[in-house]
Amino acid sequence: MSRHEKVEKTRRKGRVKTPEVIFLDGLAKQQSPQYRLVQGFGVLFAISLVAQAWALAHVFSDMVLQQTFSLPVLLIGLFALLVRALASFGRERVSAQASRNIRYGLRNKLVSHLTQLGPSRLRIEEDAALSTRVYEQVDALDDFFSRYKPQVFMVTLIPLVILLSVAPVSWVAFFVFMMTAPLVIVFMIFVGHKAAQANRRQFNVLAMLSNQFMDLSQGLAELKRLGRTKQAKMRLSDTASAYQKTTMGVLRLAFLSTATLELFASLSIAMIALYLGLGLLEALPWQKGEAPVTLTQAMYLLLLAPEFYLPLRQLGNDYHAKQKAEAAATDLLQILNTQVEDASTFQTNASSQTNTSSQTNTSDLTAFSHQAALLRFDQLSWQESGRSRLAPITAALAEGERVWLSGQSGVGKSSLLHLLLGFEGHYQGRCLINGQVFSSTNLASWRKRLAWLPQTPEWVNGSIRRNLLLGLEGTEAPNEDELQDALAKSQCDDFVRALPNGLETKVTEMGVGLSGGQMQRLSIARALLSKADIWLLDEPCSGLDEETAQAVLATLNQASQGKTLLVVSHDTHPIKWADKHWQLSQGGLHEQDF
Amino acid sequence: MSKISKAKLSLKSLLLANPWGFVIPVILGIAASLAGVALLGISGWFISAAGLATAMGLGLVFNYLTPGAIVRFMAILRTAGRYGEQVSSHHHLLGLLRILRLWVWDQRVAQDPANLHKQSRGDLLQRLVSDLDQIIRWPLVVFLPWVYALFGYGAVIILAYCISPTLLMPMLIAGLFHLVVVPYVCGCFASRAVHVGQILGVHRRGRFVSVFSALITLTIRGHWQDYAQRLKQLDERQYRMEVRIQQAISLGRLLAYLVTIGLLICCFYLLMVEGDAQASAGYGVLADGVQGTWVVALVLSLLAINELVLPLSQSFVAQGQSQVGLRRLNQLHQQAAEQSVSTVDFIESIELIDWRGFHASSGMGNTQVSFTLEAGDIVWLRGASGSGKSTLLASLAGDCLASGVAHVNAQPQSLYANEAYQAQLNYLPQTPYVFQQSIAANLLLGKENATDDELWAVLDAVALGDWVSGLADGLHTLLGAQGRDLSGGQRKRLALARLLLRRSSVLLLDEPFDGLDKATIAHICDALQNAYKPKILVLVSHVESPLGEMARVIEL
Repeated sequence: MSRHEKVEKTRRKGRVKTPEVIFLDGLAKQQSPQYRLVQGFGVLFAISLVAQAWALAHVFSDMVLQQTFSLPVLLIGLFALLVRALASFGRERVSAQASRNIRYGLRNKLVSHLTQLGPSRLRIEEDAALSTRVYEQVDALDDFFSRYKPQVFMVTLIPLVILLSVAPVSWVAFFVFMMTAPLVIVFMIFVGHKAAQANRRQFNVLAMLSNQFMDLSQGLAELKRLGRTKQAKMRLSDTASAYQKTTMGVLRLAFLSTATLELFASLSIAMIALYLGLGLLEALPWQKGEAPVTLTQAMYLLLLAPEFYLPLRQLGNDYHAKQKAEAAATDLLQILNTQVEDASTFQTNASSQTNTSSQTNTSDLTAFSHQAALLRFDQLSWQESGRSRLAPITAALAEGERVWLSGQSGVGKSSLLHLLLGFEGHYQGRCLINGQVFSSTNLASWRKRLAWLPQTPEWVNGSIRRNLLLGLEGTEAPNEDELQDALAKSQCDDFVRALPNGLETKVTEMGVGLSGGQMQRLSIARALLSKADIWLLDEPCSGLDEETAQAVLATLNQASQGKTLLVVSHDTHPIKWADKHWQLSQGGLHEQDF
Repeated sequence: MSKISKAKLSLKSLLLANPWGFVIPVILGIAASLAGVALLGISGWFISAAGLATAMGLGLVFNYLTPGAIVRFMAILRTAGRYGEQVSSHHHLLGLLRILRLWVWDQRVAQDPANLHKQSRGDLLQRLVSDLDQIIRWPLVVFLPWVYALFGYGAVIILAYCISPTLLMPMLIAGLFHLVVVPYVCGCFASRAVHVGQILGVHRRGRFVSVFSALITLTIRGHWQDYAQRLKQLDERQYRMEVRIQQAISLGRLLAYLVTIGLLICCFYLLMVEGDAQASAGYGVLADGVQGTWVVALVLSLLAINELVLPLSQSFVAQGQSQVGLRRLNQLHQQAAEQSVSTVDFIESIELIDWRGFHASSGMGNTQVSFTLEAGDIVWLRGASGSGKSTLLASLAGDCLASGVAHVNAQPQSLYANEAYQAQLNYLPQTPYVFQQSIAANLLLGKENATDDELWAVLDAVALGDWVSGLADGLHTLLGAQGRDLSGGQRKRLALARLLLRRSSVLLLDEPFDGLDKATIAHICDALQNAYKPKILVLVSHVESPLGEMARVIEL
């Protein structure tokens, strides 16, 4: 291949490189020493392949013609077979190692990235779906890195080595290989595309099937009440049958293409065998009475023929690994490309900046703090991809003040809370805490003052007690009296006592028969236990019915006396006992009268 | 299939689920594998025989047409057989998938109402997708390759026996090693890792969701690092398991190679004449009566067999995975509950004595009450938040456990999960489910053969008629997941409409008016008192309504 061609090829490749391919290549590069070792094993494998064929060919022809065979040559042949086994053993291990290193490294990176994303991770997808990406999708890269990637090298290496070692022996065989190889490759690409399409379509239909099952399963109680479970089963059965039928149609086609390829390889082997056989009999139509090859050479060619096509066929089998990996890469890139707007940047800067910025802050302090405000927003706003997510707002919140923040959805209420939690960094304007610029405050100690009560309480799998004490390990752990006190203040004591296992009752995703209101009350108890003095609440009452919502808000009123509160709540659940009512809209923030 | 739907699952029962569907791929696969081995063997024999014939000057009388045709036939058979095997085995597989899915559905249906939601959505989905996947792969990855290798071995053993009976023993031993010992040893080496790995996988995922759902709380408390570390530890354990499994597979392949090499050495040794003069000069001489051409065929066949047995070292991993998958799926298995044969054809009255409905998991419920419901009754259950109104209603609907005695039509009945009784009543729970189907399909669940007129009438009755007729697709509008594009009030009214179509004698409503305006409430109450009036109506609501005004009130 001339240099010009090579340049041309790389340029063309460069043009069609998708982000997924770049991503996967980048990951593979991290392990390039491993992959070089894999290639070394591959070369060893190819050489022993030829050596084995050469040795066995000699043994065979001697055995046939003279009933004897050379023991050293036989030993060489068997030794070559052993080397081959060892080479593929090494190849497998090293490439699996490379794949593992890549995958576990990537997974760590994803988890820490998601951590940094904080609440904005939910803009990508919910946690359960994210866990699928972090675990299943990352593992879906395995076949690509452990099989496909090394195989790509073998596919060029082995046929090349075989062609080179066949050329001096028989030009006819050389040309048969030369002619068929490109055809096989063309078929390969064709088959690969077909299989990929089939795969994708099948995957979509399968997802739809699962979706239908989940839908019916979730409404099973309803179906049972309506007495319609049999009909639902029929529906499932029908769609499953339809799925079987369509998938088989697709698969038949996909397999047919593979079969054509196989047939091609099989027939080539058969043709070579026939040519060699007839040649040996001196019965070739164009070469009657003369043998183009000796028996040794014929054996040699016959032994190499299947090996010539084998890597191509394996690549064909592994081709779907590439498709799978690219599909997974799309999902993973979506996570990695989501910008971290978090505090880590200013967290690291915080320590170095504290000294310098405290001086500038003193000037801020004098300029702005004509009133002792705990929190002050000064023309605070931010935009995301050109769209305004929060209109410029200016407001102040004093220590011990309880503020109700309302506004339509999408106006930036939650973003404001996320900013205060330290998960949003890229804002314009200023946000001051005790007169100090937010980005230069010590984030850890600020966060310790916060309690977070979102719409769906943050529960981990475990007992109620464990959830109440979540993150309060060690010296901060409250004692039993404090626990009971918090439960009493949040009016949880009655229903917790009614539970057969009390505080040890397990809480799961489904909430063990605790109502939404009771879960929110437990959140209040947790906030009390944490001794945080600033509570941030994000729609604590949405999802609760009117009556429960009022009861929870009443409890919140009593429990949060003396705390600084910022409660986001819709107008449907007014916080009547708040000190201030902030109305947030596209136009900014307005303080409302009650 | 009917047998499978009741019993627990096992790999054997899967294999026998559709035996005839399985025979075809097995036969085709065996034919293809044998053809693959024969292709190499016969080619080797053909070439060596041809060479020999020429050398002996018999080239011109050598019948080259038949072996040539056989070689080509084998090539075609191998390809066609492989194709047929792939198509038919996948067909069989998809059939299995269908059977298994329906099995899971049957188990879900058999589960009693109180425990219906014990399985989290993610968990069920995991079982439904990845566990099923592991199981249906079993025939393809474990069973079939093993059968092919077995038959391949059988054929080569016959060939070896024909060449020299002395080869029988080493062939049998090698076969035993290849087919049984090596896979078994690898299995022992890695089975724990496979099982632990599978379970760790599920556990790790659960931990991820659990920890991430409390991300903010843990972060602001400054304890995220500890939890993230624990997540990482799980990952590291999984890593070690993966290493072990991978080592076992690679080792298995290496062992298979070694057995093949050993077998080749044995064969050559046994076919040699011992103590021959030439042997000392580094040459082996074939024993009398052993033809070189056939030995070539044998050696080439053995190399082909080697390719057949290599995948077996991997199969134990798949075996382990299938077993874990099966075990997890069998956890869904429900003992078929003894159905009470009691029949309830109609409901005239329900009497509850010392009745207390409660949740199975928390034991929470209402305080004991006794009351009687009779035809014509409208009852309003009232009480403070948390007094157990909804629980009482659910237990009355037979959806929730209860203590106490119930008489239906003056006959003692157990209400819980009593299908005959439940068939006679309509229950609207606090959060009813709307299916991801069209509006019409959702309504037709109430009455299968309802006409469009009936559907419109009932939609008007719940004041949804205007909304539906305003939609572009009308009755055929598809509803999104969990009725996401519906408001809470719309969802509830749609579910109510579905119930009203059923026209059963008892109607139990849990907060039907939440989030509705006065006019709509009045409209619905009117329908419930006239066109769709049930014999007995029980209402839980904290909203005043015309229905409530005329109802008998029971305070909890």
